[in-house]
Amino acid sequence: MSVAIIGVGQTGYRRSFADKSSRELIWEAARLALEDAGMGIDAIDMVISGVAPDALAGEASVERTAMLGFGKPFLRINTGGVTGSSAVFAGNTFIRARRARAVLVVGLERMGQATSSQQVFNTIFDPVYEKDFPLTTITMAALRASMLMRLYGYTAMHWAQIASRSYRNALRNPLAHIHRDVSPEDVLNSPLLAWPIHRYEACPMSEGACAMVLVDEGMVGDRIPAWIQGAASITDSYAMGDRIHRPGATLVDLLSLKLAAQRAYAEAGVDRPREQLRAVELYSAFSSAEAMAYPALGLCASEDGPRFVEAQFTDPTLPVINPSGGPQGANPVSVTAMVRIAEAALQVREMAGERQVADVERAVATGQGGATQFSTVCVLGKRQAA
Amino acid sequence: MELVTIEGKWDFNYTYFAGESASRFFHELRENQRIMGTRCTKCEKLLVPARAYCDVCMSVTDEWVEVGPEGTLETFTIITTAFPGLPKPPIVMAYVTLDGADTALINLVHGMDLSDIEKAAQKLNALPRVRVEFIDEPKGRITDFSFKLI
Ligand SMILES: [Zn+2]
Repeated sequence: MSVAIIGVGQTGYRRSFADKSSRELIWEAARLALEDAGMGIDAIDMVISGVAPDALAGEASVERTAMLGFGKPFLRINTGGVTGSSAVFAGNTFIRARRARAVLVVGLERMGQATSSQQVFNTIFDPVYEKDFPLTTITMAALRASMLMRLYGYTAMHWAQIASRSYRNALRNPLAHIHRDVSPEDVLNSPLLAWPIHRYEACPMSEGACAMVLVDEGMVGDRIPAWIQGAASITDSYAMGDRIHRPGATLVDLLSLKLAAQRAYAEAGVDRPREQLRAVELYSAFSSAEAMAYPALGLCASEDGPRFVEAQFTDPTLPVINPSGGPQGANPVSVTAMVRIAEAALQVREMAGERQVADVERAVATGQGGATQFSTVCVLGKRQAA
Repeated sequence: MELVTIEGKWDFNYTYFAGESASRFFHELRENQRIMGTRCTKCEKLLVPARAYCDVCMSVTDEWVEVGPEGTLETFTIITTAFPGLPKPPIVMAYVTLDGADTALINLVHGMDLSDIEKAAQKLNALPRVRVEFIDEPKGRITDFSFKLI
């Protein structure tokens, strides 16, 4: 049973939507996805919702007030940063298991209501051994970035180039939160948050909702599908300190992403990712997270990472990374991983407007959650997997 | 028309239960000023800080072994910007593998000259040896100790 995405709805992403309540954001994205799919809510068998830490919104179970239709099974998913992709994968699984023919997946991030998000992010760490330290999403990324610089020769300039490329891609994405032409020099000149991370390398705090309609192959009809060719979700140990000495699977090797990629590629029939994947939507909230994804996705060897960054600016045959601007353009945490799949779907469906990449037969979308103990990889294609 | 906003505040109190293994780890910090790990019965890795089970093998870790007090810095960050609700910068935070341990432990690095951040970063990049330093009156918390460059 093949599954296709035939509807994508996004509210767009901003620092805050003062003109919309939480339920209105959810409704808006769901409405747009159904419209894109040419379906009414009555044709939907099941609704799957994804919201990550409630404290970011200051509302417990924020999805509860936004029921979509009547008399359907409903479930909520929270796997941190991969909440959005986990929700899509759940829909994919229900359809493949023939428990549903059409699933509406909807995610919301409402962190515009939070006035101190890094303080909230500190609460996602272990209260016993970790919460007394200034561990946040930023410092967690910094601990890895410094390791990548030492091991593979990345420089502050590489981080700045990656961030600048994403900002400039986001200029072509009307849904992005940040529309600012940031040069690598601008990144390097922005204040240092936590060595080696500068302010302009850190992803923004964004909110907004994203929704998708997934159907079985018999329901695609005349709609334009993005076929889910491969989808894999892999866990790793929680403790980052436990991963430092693992041979071939250290803190910066992203073993879980690598295994997820291998599994998703095998399902999709991808064996030359660098040639077969034209568009890559990475869950890279920081440049260092993008660098860790290159070898995991088979785009280059770890030690060739810095050269791969440079080559992206000169070699048009390389896959286009984050044509949407990625999390640098908008980072609505709960839905960031869903947005990656949504954007990859738009690329495959040739509906990405000004940010459309040419000849996207296949695209890949990743997700990273928690202390990267959750990784997801989703391969989408114009055709069903052989 | 003016858009309405409504003020909110989450200010809940919690008591976190550390469990038996972490309680014993904290007890060792307070009473004996030593850092303990527990060995996995299956992969035989000495996990620090101590815990009840190895989450890779799903096996119990019931052999208690002292590690350190010296070790090697593995990776670090220097926090230079203040965030609401978090300690004031500059702060050096690092993963350190204490001698004898198979895993690295996170804590703060104290006593460094941070007047030149780039220079301090280069010093830490060399992965220096460090020593555990306890506070004068340990309370049985992970903050009872920090690392100091040797
Ligand atoms: Zn083990």
